[in-house]
Amino acid sequence: MTAGNLFSLLSRRRRDETTTMNSKGNRMEWRDYQAAQKVAELNGRFMSFAEEGRGLPILLLHGIPTWGYLWHRLIPALAETRRVLAPDLLGFGYSDKSDRFDRSIRCQTEMIATWMEATEMHGAAVVGHDIGGGIALRLATLYPHLVSHLCLMNSVCYDSWPIEMMLQFGHPEADRKMSASAAQTVLKQALKKGFSNSPNDGILEGLLAPYATEIGKRSLIRNAASLNTNQTTELTHLLPRIHAPALILWGEDDPFQPLKYGERLAWDIPKTRLIRIANARHFVMLDQPQEVERHLLVFLES
Amino acid sequence: MVFGLSRKKQIDEYEAEGEVERIYHEIRQTFRVSGINLIFRTWARYDKFFLVLWNSIRPNAGTRLFEDAADSVRAQAVLRAGRLDRLRVPANVSLGESQAYQLKAALDLYHYINPKLLVMASAVRLSLTGGRVRETIEGAKFLEMIERGVPEKMYPMEMISEDPKEERINELFADIRQVLNLPSINSDYRTLALWPDYLIEAWKRLRPMIGRQDYVEAAEEVRQVARDSAGRLPYPVISREQLEELGEDAGEITQITEKFEDILAPLIINIALFQLDWHDRRQLVLSPFPAAAR
Repeated sequence: MTAGNLFSLLSRRRRDETTTMNSKGNRMEWRDYQAAQKVAELNGRFMSFAEEGRGLPILLLHGIPTWGYLWHRLIPALAETRRVLAPDLLGFGYSDKSDRFDRSIRCQTEMIATWMEATEMHGAAVVGHDIGGGIALRLATLYPHLVSHLCLMNSVCYDSWPIEMMLQFGHPEADRKMSASAAQTVLKQALKKGFSNSPNDGILEGLLAPYATEIGKRSLIRNAASLNTNQTTELTHLLPRIHAPALILWGEDDPFQPLKYGERLAWDIPKTRLIRIANARHFVMLDQPQEVERHLLVFLES
Repeated sequence: MVFGLSRKKQIDEYEAEGEVERIYHEIRQTFRVSGINLIFRTWARYDKFFLVLWNSIRPNAGTRLFEDAADSVRAQAVLRAGRLDRLRVPANVSLGESQAYQLKAALDLYHYINPKLLVMASAVRLSLTGGRVRETIEGAKFLEMIERGVPEKMYPMEMISEDPKEERINELFADIRQVLNLPSINSDYRTLALWPDYLIEAWKRLRPMIGRQDYVEAAEEVRQVARDSAGRLPYPVISREQLEELGEDAGEITQITEKFEDILAPLIINIALFQLDWHDRRQLVLSPFPAAAR
């Protein structure tokens, strides 16, 4: 299946509001997403990413504990007018999960910036969720020439993170004390709290699929262990200098990244619009996909 | 015992504690491998044996001679597999760019490690059945030690559960178990099942070949190369007498070891066949992770 086929399929499913994902049976939607991923080598590591559409680039950065599949409902609409790129961060999804490298958002930012420079992806719209938002903030402040628009969705910022659950998950003993299947159970329970409307099993299974193996689990634990609040607090004095127009979309019932942080960002970053999304929690793009899509498209056209 | 592999449950990497955890770490370093294969996970259940075994394997595994022996096994497997029919799996399955990249990296991992496991299994089997692994060191080459540590670009030994959620993979594993007479699925197939469309197609094409005369002969030649090399390893390996002194079930452990020696040879042929779909034969006879001297 080509990437084009995949995204038409996803788009059709989205329009039909049907889901063919199946935790027991045949092919699952996340596998189609995975099959369409491309790969890039960066500084001796490999990174998988989805790419669709043509035009000005828009970069979608996921958080923890997800991967590029987080954006699967948003990609088809964005790809009608833009070149959409959704990488799996290092150590996440189907990117490099070997065991000896830095997975901090500082390092992830450098990797993304290297990729953008190498592919001449200057002036991209950067959309970040959760720690992907932390990376987007680092890009907008430290590599401003790479960012034309900034969109943050229920993002980590200031000292809003790591949340307690991720601190526990990132404990070095977690790898020894928790099997991959036990970790899946824990993560599914935790993820459910991030949805306003109870997600179907297919979505949860898809979001956690790369972490269902022992290597995947260990990699996610390493990712959790690398979460470091200093890497956003150190940006605080730089936020007023962000020159890219910014949109903050925030699921207003988020128990992980409460709305007050979105409001503080809107205060500190110039040229910002804050939109509170009702009936949405942390996974705002899955809770209210059409509303998120509409606001994002309007923002990108502005 | 079902057929030779242990009735005892294997010890997975995340479950390992104490001495087993330490030995697993040393295996990754000395064998230069990103994970612990089924043979070690199975042996690890016999804790007294495992410790003494590892103390005798480790000095051998770090030598240039051992690495060269594995290289010879790999080269022989590629030559023999090259005379069998091509499987042409990638042409018959839809794989994305990232999937193909990772799959090839995973094949390289097993193309590298399996010949080393076979030489080791042959040496242990030889020693446990009264044969002799050389005890004297001759020449500078025997003394040369190779670098330690997992090669930088080696794929992590990621594998799915032996009891997967997807029904089609469950059915595939059941068929592999039945055809190859395995109670446990080898790490290789569990890794390749990360790309189920690929493994299903690969198994469909490989299955009719298993048991064919030319295939059996190819596996036997590979096994023979490993046995010849195993007898020339520089340091002695745990003997039957030592094993009996430990109070472990010598018969069961010997049977397990024989079974691993038995199944590894065709597995090496299978991986070579999968590799030949992607690479030139001349490239494949070389080690995917050449080891510098230490």
